[in-house]
Amino acid sequence: MNYFFSFLVLAEIFSIVAFSTNLLMGVVGIFSVAQAAIMGIGAYTSGILVMMGVPFPLAVLAAIAVCAGVNLISSLPSLRLAGDYFIITSFGTQLVATAVFINWSSLTGGASGLSGIPVATMFGYSFVTASQFAVLSTLALCLVALSFWLILRSPYGMMLNAIRLDEIAVVASGRKVLQTKIGVSAVSGAYAGIGGALYAAYISFIDPVSFDIHVSVLVVTMVVVGGARTLAGSIIGPFLLLAIPQALTLIDIPSTLVGPIRQLIYGLLLIAFMLWRPQGIAGKSL
Amino acid sequence: MLYVQLIADGVVTGCAIGLVAVSFAYFYATTGIFHVAHAGIYTLCGYIAWYLTGLGIPFILALIASILCGALVGMFVQVTLYQTLENKGASPLVKLIASIGVLTTLQNIVAIFFTPNIVQFDLPWRLNSLTIGGVWFSVPQILILLSSVGLFAAVVLFSKYSKLGKRIRAVASNPGLAEITHLNPQRVFVYVIAISSGLVAVPGVLVGVDQALQPYTSLIILLTAVIAMIAGGIGSLGGAFVMSIVLAVIQSLSVAFVSGRWSIAVVFAIFVLFILIRPEGLVRRKFSRAI
Repeated sequence: MNYFFSFLVLAEIFSIVAFSTNLLMGVVGIFSVAQAAIMGIGAYTSGILVMMGVPFPLAVLAAIAVCAGVNLISSLPSLRLAGDYFIITSFGTQLVATAVFINWSSLTGGASGLSGIPVATMFGYSFVTASQFAVLSTLALCLVALSFWLILRSPYGMMLNAIRLDEIAVVASGRKVLQTKIGVSAVSGAYAGIGGALYAAYISFIDPVSFDIHVSVLVVTMVVVGGARTLAGSIIGPFLLLAIPQALTLIDIPSTLVGPIRQLIYGLLLIAFMLWRPQGIAGKSL
Repeated sequence: MLYVQLIADGVVTGCAIGLVAVSFAYFYATTGIFHVAHAGIYTLCGYIAWYLTGLGIPFILALIASILCGALVGMFVQVTLYQTLENKGASPLVKLIASIGVLTTLQNIVAIFFTPNIVQFDLPWRLNSLTIGGVWFSVPQILILLSSVGLFAAVVLFSKYSKLGKRIRAVASNPGLAEITHLNPQRVFVYVIAISSGLVAVPGVLVGVDQALQPYTSLIILLTAVIAMIAGGIGSLGGAFVMSIVLAVIQSLSVAFVSGRWSIAVVFAIFVLFILIRPEGLVRRKFSRAI
């Protein structure tokens, strides 16, 4: 049962990060392969603050603020220019963030990471076991999903969709595309920050490898497999893809090959879905 | 003297990256596809050559074999993936994600079938060195220098004077017109990816000989190459090559001031500066496809 709950918590955390990517990539059409880095920044911010004795809710708020800011700043140079510059900014943000996690060792603990992050306590309750933490992560996922749904339904969401479909037409009709993109970057960053803060509190150990480029590709795969622009898509993807490593443990393969085989499956899934089902399982076309 | 040595090292690295940048730019400027999987072909070719030399095959044959393998894999990707997506009218985002899928697949095929560990070529001459005018070069470094400059010149001449090169430029500048006049863009794309994938095999192998091979690091090299391509002006092969050398020299010199672990941050900072100050690159070119 504990096994099930720990899977549930991880899948819910990744669902939150998938919402973050879905908002950028699925809705506005801004490519992002740096969401794991933003999530990592949230995890480190909240982890370090909690270790310094800051209460958990405040640390989460700080993580949200920092991630919203970083996502905004990292996208700022490219927002003025459309298209392919964003790809490079995105890859660059991811690689630079990993370099910072590894090399700023006085703050982040370097390659060996931060261990012993205290358990989450909120309003007198502490979330120690997986089943207790599942309450917290479910609550957070519901909040993020609700806000995602509300954003998509609102006039603002209509505009986000319009930007993806025809940016020039939106500019021509007098809407402020730049401000909208900045706003959506901040919201997407905030989602990833929530995911990161929960991850740090739940696993209680974070290191640079947990947030490297492979994790970002995994998150992109989740959105692609689940489907763009739908609530169900952002939730189905993470649950399905996180089940793959669990299934792999049932097969007898050498431990050094587990990681590569898992990633090979993710890569093949990306190709297959792009070829035959670009809208994913429960989404709309990219 | 330290600085001269650092500059020399930077020039060598820059030549290798330059070849990656030129080959990437050649395909990108022609098709408009952001071919991230290029980094996967780079890795794959290095490991193929490493495997073949391990079997006792002479290095030059292993190099040629890996160039051919690279070209074949590239053509396979173009025909089975990009062309199918193009026929389905897929958006650039879909093509990019598919390309990331190919990159992940290639890297992990390498990790599974060869080894996930860092490996070095078992060639005794790779440790030999020469001193030219007080500057130290290893033999693989000299090979990188000569082959990069030679191949770069060959690509430029090919693009400018050969019939196929002209046809490629025609397709790149106006795909619609090329389609009408039976230049057959889809077939040209296959030729282009074969050329660029074969080219990228050379730095893939030689940098591996000079340093070591790793399955997952090629993305950083590709990122540097793409930044050089943008800084040099997309569509200008010379700009991409020269900017690669400039970037690598700056990166190499920066080691004297900040720790080498931050070199990727230095390159990225240069990219941000370029975007803010001169987004069209050093060499102004009319290039309508991207950006």
